[in-house]
Amino acid sequence: MGLGLLASRLIRPQKTAARTLLLRSIVTKPELQSPEPATAPQPDPTPDLPPRTPLAGARVHFPNPEDAIEVFVDGYPVKIPKGMTVLQACEVAGVDIPRFCYHSRLSIAGNCRMCLVEVEKSPKPVASCAMPALPGMKIKTDTPVAKKAREGVMEFLLMNHPLDCPICDQGGECDLQDQSMAFGSDRGRFTEVKRSVVDKNLGPLVKTVMTRCIQCTRCVRFATEVAGVQDLGMLGRGSGEEIGTYVEKLMTSELSGNVIDICPVGALTSKPFAFKARNWELKGTETIDVTDAVGSNIRIDSRGPEVMRITPRLNEDINEEWISDKTRFCYDGLKRQRLNDPMIRSSDGRFKIVSWHDVLAVVAEIALQVKPEEIVGIAGKLSDAESMMALKDFINKMGSNNVWCEGNGPSPNADLRSGYIMNSGISGLENADVFLLVGTEVIQLTFLICLGWNAWIIAVMSFTFCYFFAYELVCCFYDVLNLFFAFMFCTPFCTFSLPLCLIFCLMKCQPRVEAAMVNARIRKTVRGSNAKVAYIGPPADFNYDCEHLGTGPETLTEIAEGRHPFCSTISNAKNPAIIVGAGLFERSDKDAVFSAVETIAKNGNVVRPDWNGFNVLLLNAAQAAALDLGLVPESSQSIESAKFVYLMGADDVDLEKLPNDAFVVYQGHHGDRGVYRANVILPASAFSEKEGTYENTEGCTQQTLPAVPTVGDARDDWKIIRALSEVAGVRLPYDTVGAVRSRIKTVAPNLLSVDEREPATFWASLKPEVTQKMSSAPFDPAIKNFYMTDSITRASKIMAQCSALLLKK
Amino acid sequence: MATGAVAALRNMKVAGNSKSLEEARARVFDFFKLACRSLPSVMDIYNLDDVVTRSQLRSAIASQIRKNSHVTNTKVIDMLLFKGMEELGNIVEHHKQRHHIIGQYVLGKDGILQDLSPKDEGSSDFLKNFYSGNYF
Repeated sequence: MGLGLLASRLIRPQKTAARTLLLRSIVTKPELQSPEPATAPQPDPTPDLPPRTPLAGARVHFPNPEDAIEVFVDGYPVKIPKGMTVLQACEVAGVDIPRFCYHSRLSIAGNCRMCLVEVEKSPKPVASCAMPALPGMKIKTDTPVAKKAREGVMEFLLMNHPLDCPICDQGGECDLQDQSMAFGSDRGRFTEVKRSVVDKNLGPLVKTVMTRCIQCTRCVRFATEVAGVQDLGMLGRGSGEEIGTYVEKLMTSELSGNVIDICPVGALTSKPFAFKARNWELKGTETIDVTDAVGSNIRIDSRGPEVMRITPRLNEDINEEWISDKTRFCYDGLKRQRLNDPMIRSSDGRFKIVSWHDVLAVVAEIALQVKPEEIVGIAGKLSDAESMMALKDFINKMGSNNVWCEGNGPSPNADLRSGYIMNSGISGLENADVFLLVGTEVIQLTFLICLGWNAWIIAVMSFTFCYFFAYELVCCFYDVLNLFFAFMFCTPFCTFSLPLCLIFCLMKCQPRVEAAMVNARIRKTVRGSNAKVAYIGPPADFNYDCEHLGTGPETLTEIAEGRHPFCSTISNAKNPAIIVGAGLFERSDKDAVFSAVETIAKNGNVVRPDWNGFNVLLLNAAQAAALDLGLVPESSQSIESAKFVYLMGADDVDLEKLPNDAFVVYQGHHGDRGVYRANVILPASAFSEKEGTYENTEGCTQQTLPAVPTVGDARDDWKIIRALSEVAGVRLPYDTVGAVRSRIKTVAPNLLSVDEREPATFWASLKPEVTQKMSSAPFDPAIKNFYMTDSITRASKIMAQCSALLLKK
Repeated sequence: MATGAVAALRNMKVAGNSKSLEEARARVFDFFKLACRSLPSVMDIYNLDDVVTRSQLRSAIASQIRKNSHVTNTKVIDMLLFKGMEELGNIVEHHKQRHHIIGQYVLGKDGILQDLSPKDEGSSDFLKNFYSGNYF
């Protein structure tokens, strides 16, 4: 017997308790058998407590310094503002309280009971998420009482939870799994049959396994409060309690994917991601979304060369912690329709694969043959700043100045930055109390109304308090079909309280299209501070109360000239915000429309030193940076006379007027619309594969990082242009991405201060008078299909399913 | 013929350290001769007659050796010889497949792309790197 073994025998504690029972009884941990309230024996807090750091960078903001109160968490004193809950106090003190139903961005439900803590002089453990912290409260999070309470709650939760973790998509990132390991008992006492719940069909994005649901109601609260759709609700009581849609209905929100993230268990998981990967196999890359102009912060989870899923990243100023469904589910478009080799269209109209060497030689030769003013370069919606800089430099060196970014219209205003960015900032919108939306559809919601009427219907319906077998059922029905079902369903059992509010149902159905995250921010403001919203534009559907003022420029003129009743609302408001849609950039009377809006802004005192409420909501990720870099065409008629067109990912340019003998080069990552007319294809990398700078609609510069390698023989956008310039004999003076950025620095230095919002300095008062007349054509919807706006989303199968199912006309 | 070459290679002993640069040099020549002698069987095994000639393969071997012509350390030369011997053994004993041989010795490192024409001599490093791949 070795010495080590002897030593370890000595060290091992002697068994003190004699085994009296032969059979092992099912009990909880012995030390939790008789938990004593920790009130009496606790000595006064030890002074040598190590200072704790608040959890996850939790910040305490004292709106009123005299309202600060002091509480003790595990003997450690913390100062918190009045009105904070016990759980928040614990977070400030650096103690993580287990929770399922509590979510900092949703209302407090207090129904999971996982966050029980012991409070001195309280007879029972208290649910910390719902209990306001009181001065001098002594909170104990680590005592036997608290531990036993958690263990008991955990046992109840696991009673009806299926044991299917091995086939559950949440496995590995499941709150229930983690917390049962940390706080649960090592055995259960439940020997009966587990309940099972019918799965609900929530559409093509969210997969449900309702048996796994622990009724935390986070998804219900998210749908009601953040997404603004009353689709989800709680039915039944006791063990029959379940989450569902009241009637058979898909979840028709453009934010529906977020319920996947907030679900603490595997009840709501991603349908496209189902059984595709395990979270510990994935490599996360923190990057930026480019499918709209918001620039939501995302994490791309990849496995090898494949993007497996996209999840949101916290950024309080931009997307908080939500992302739209387009952002989340467009990733399968990155694997389809990709261009992977340089190609030249041969005489029979088919593309032939050639080498980079040959293709660049061909392109350079043709570019040198045409006249300089016949050269046109168009940057696409998804272009990064580096490639746009290279494109502009290349086209300029070729002697032409016809270079622009699609979506910015024929004569964009690139001189005054305040005229094309969101001056309030996305988070700044929360301070506004009146919104006027001009020609923008931040908003709009799909509703599956299939009635054949062409006017819009005003349905009168209300929050109906139904007493359904003594169950409280708080429902809110928004559309006519539901209204009908509600009558069918509830009439026998319930009493109606009659109309409390008016709800508009609109026939022209479209989802909230232009920037779902900005819309969520406006909705948050409307909910939080009862801000008023009015809009001018095509009839749209909003998920908050909103006034439709008119459809076209005449309403705008009325407000500008002070003849409209809404003028007084603007002038009475403290922080009025005007949001102008970038769809107006394409109108020929754009300058007149913008000058009318500026008149409204001037009369309504929208722009002051302390508040700038004039906002332009851009549509595409590339627009702001393109205008900063000065991608402005010399003439608006350049397409008609072009002989050499360089499309850098531009798919939505109208090439109808292009002469038939024009030579079109398409540089991009997807075989989309631009390729149909192209003579040469240069494969480029998508946003998930390159390092690129993007500026979002509020003027915040952010960078993408490569998550996966490029496909096939593709190259980064700016490198292609740099190589082409050398072959064409007009070599651009940069060889590295750093060198491109220092070139950008000379044009738009704000594009180098990453993750910072650069506000515009001058206001439009410097602008010359506008002589243009406004046409009477009403504002058109800028986006026809929310789910398919660019080459990536148009290639995505999931987005196609969404538009087929959720955009029913 | 094939069996003879295999047997010859089997009988090759791993030589001890070269004592001088001359000895190492002689060993390199011996190795080259051995490789050249096994070429007919290699062409036979891998069916290379329609893609390459014997002299081309010979010059491929020679260029592989010349690539290390700057090495003067006898220990390094012995190590490289050992690796070459191992490679030769693998080839002769059919441990490789046809495309390995074609890829490594017929097409060569940048044979597939063959982008570099004499015209590119004056082009920048950036362009040369660009033709060979995206990551540089």
